[in-house]
Amino acid sequence: MQHGPIDPLRRNVLRAFAMLFIFLLVVLLDSGSATAAIVGRSPRVLILYPFDERLPATSIAGESARARLIGETAGKIDLFSEFLDLSRFPHQIHIDRMARYLAEKYTDQRPDVVIAMGAEAARFIVDYRDTIAPGATIVVGGFNHESGKMLALPADVVGAYSEFDIANTFALARALQPKAKHLFVIGGSAVFDHEWLDSAKAGLAAVARGYETTYLEGLSIDEFITRASQVPTDSIVIILTIFADGTGRNFLPKEAAGLVASKANAPVYGPYDTYIGQGLVGGNAPTFESMGHSIAGLALDAIAGRAVSDVDVPNTFFVDARQMERWGLSEKALPAETSLRFRQPNLWERHWQLILAGLAVVTLQAMVITGLLLERRRRFAAQGESQLRLLELVHLNQSATAGALSASIAHELNQPLGAILTNAEAAEAILRSETPDLTIVQQILADIREDDERAGEIILRLRGMLKRRSEIDWQEFDLNEVVAGAINILRAEAANKHVSVSAEPSLGRLRVRADKVHLQQVILNLATNAMDAMVEAAIPDPKLVLHTTLLGNTKVEMSISDNGKGIPNERLNSIFDAFYTTKPNGTGLGLSIARAIVETYGGKIWADNRAGGGAVFRFVLPLAGVS
Amino acid sequence: MIAMKPFIHIIDDDASLRTALGRLVETYGFCAVSYPSGEDFLARLPTSGSGCILLDLRMPGLSGTDLQVRLAQAVPLLPVIFLTGQGTIAESVRAMRAGADDFLEKPVPSKILRQAIERALGQNDHRRAEHDQLQILQSKVSKLTPREAQVFDLVVSGKRNKQVAHELRTSERTVKAHRQRIMEKLSATSLAEIVSVAARLGRIEDDAARTPPRTSSPKANTLHR
Repeated sequence: MQHGPIDPLRRNVLRAFAMLFIFLLVVLLDSGSATAAIVGRSPRVLILYPFDERLPATSIAGESARARLIGETAGKIDLFSEFLDLSRFPHQIHIDRMARYLAEKYTDQRPDVVIAMGAEAARFIVDYRDTIAPGATIVVGGFNHESGKMLALPADVVGAYSEFDIANTFALARALQPKAKHLFVIGGSAVFDHEWLDSAKAGLAAVARGYETTYLEGLSIDEFITRASQVPTDSIVIILTIFADGTGRNFLPKEAAGLVASKANAPVYGPYDTYIGQGLVGGNAPTFESMGHSIAGLALDAIAGRAVSDVDVPNTFFVDARQMERWGLSEKALPAETSLRFRQPNLWERHWQLILAGLAVVTLQAMVITGLLLERRRRFAAQGESQLRLLELVHLNQSATAGALSASIAHELNQPLGAILTNAEAAEAILRSETPDLTIVQQILADIREDDERAGEIILRLRGMLKRRSEIDWQEFDLNEVVAGAINILRAEAANKHVSVSAEPSLGRLRVRADKVHLQQVILNLATNAMDAMVEAAIPDPKLVLHTTLLGNTKVEMSISDNGKGIPNERLNSIFDAFYTTKPNGTGLGLSIARAIVETYGGKIWADNRAGGGAVFRFVLPLAGVS
Repeated sequence: MIAMKPFIHIIDDDASLRTALGRLVETYGFCAVSYPSGEDFLARLPTSGSGCILLDLRMPGLSGTDLQVRLAQAVPLLPVIFLTGQGTIAESVRAMRAGADDFLEKPVPSKILRQAIERALGQNDHRRAEHDQLQILQSKVSKLTPREAQVFDLVVSGKRNKQVAHELRTSERTVKAHRQRIMEKLSATSLAEIVSVAARLGRIEDDAARTPPRTSSPKANTLHR
């Protein structure tokens, strides 16, 4: 603990110097090196703390050592702790009393290894090892080689030595501030501070050659603070120790370091990890934790019977993450295995489970959405294909209907053509007469034009019937118009079959959204089906009634009633099935296509028998503009 | 005195064709009367005069056959020319069975229509002349006394005077006297003439009939063509 920032420790070290030589002679060299492996019981380790249990330095090191010892022996170890309390009871009388007490206490359980945390404890156990722990391996730590030499430890005592190297702290600063040009080194006015300054000047001379280096020494604490607050921003500031300032005022070094660092205009570094938390960025030192770790390693080797020898406590880089952030220093520039203290866990670290869960949910959701979209596209493709099939089928059906109605249509076409011919011949005859009546000729010409238009309309209607669709031609229209159109087409056929066709259209318009040609085909299929059935059954006065009506403001209903023999009840459902036919020349597709069309436009179709005899086919469609 | 123009009765549900046919027929020098349906024609039966009927075979309402039967009863002397959309065999057979005098396919060229109409009018004239003659003969026959009518029927059935006398339980001389008066009343000069009259009035096969024949025969139009 020679270079520890805790001054009582330091004072004791210095005080103990005189006694050192005396004990050197007493203990002399005893090369009992490694003890034999312990058999049949748990090894006993006694940890001696020089002061009381409140001293953080020894406590940290002790805990670290205990943790390793328990960990590596899987708990099969007996650990004992003794606090020598030498700062409060520094007198020899107390020391002797303590020695006697411990010798008595451990009579039946002599320790196999004694760990001495710090120089005072080391000196104590070296003095009293024969009574307290005869034959035990003594492991010491908490000071550097130089102090160790001054303690003149016996040869069989092994140590974990802590060596401070200010160049390491500087290296850390340089890594974090590659653009820095200035170096300020601060040291107090106490003896120890001077020693540190001398040591640092020597250590930094080589490595800080490219920097404009300033040693701030002999100043008061206020002056230190002021100077530190005025350094250029591209500076590295290193505080060694300030046990006392230029005015003779005493300080705890870490508190003094904190005062300076809090006002500094550039990052401040220091060679003690206890400085961390005071506003310094970081530094390099053998930490108390690693000290405990190293000491425990030696103890374990001794317990296992392995040869043990002095080790150096590994130096550790440590930084204060908050200060790193304050100065905008990058964690990436840190040496490997730097101990990052006070690191505020970022959002990810604090809530990684939540974030992962969130991400999982989002991913899952995305997958589900993607899946649904793909499914939707597949379904649309399938729907498109099935719709195309339906359109083809409807077109076949249209052609078949046109074929079936062709005789009637030809007859219908014959009427205007015949009228035209007859009118033309009449006109010729009139013009041949001596006193032609031109008024009549004029009327004739007007009639010819009218009949020509009529013929044209019939041809247009036929073409409309045969209109091929590669996709649905969506339109909004009055269903009654389509009914009227269908009746026009059917009129000749109905006349030919002596079927009277009448329409009972609704009063208002029935807006539907569909393809006109398709709905016309539905009506034609239902009507021709009914007419065929009535002719087949040789009904004396066959009648067909096409009725449309509004259904509850959201739907339109169309019914086609006949006065034929009706449909056997057991066939009411199967009548719409494909290939169901009772006609020798029927394809059995008319009604099934009618159903397919009606369902395509969101409607429903069904057949029923009328109370007064005959069948009625009905379909409902959604009224356009009603969602 | 100017002769009455023949009436051509056009029955067609197609107004335009009806009008056109009317115009054309008028250019032939006939009087056209048109009706939208068979029922309409039957409701406005022509009283008399020469003429013929132009009938569209395919019309809603009364079927061609039904209408034909009604026409034969109502206007037996008027020949019927059927007009049809397509001259299918089935249709023409049906039309002929229904008693069509002619059968024309639409559209009808004027020349063919005219020829058909003229032929029909000729038939009509013939029928009417025959009808008139029959009417005269009928009125003559109707002037015979019941006893003379009995003798007439027996004589035209090929019975000799003696047989007739025997059947009527009278003398042969009485029969001869009846025959003499029959010859006078029917303006006949020979037995052959009397038999011809009886045949035309349809009394020969109907030898059991004791009642005088009716004024007209429903089968009149079937005797021709």
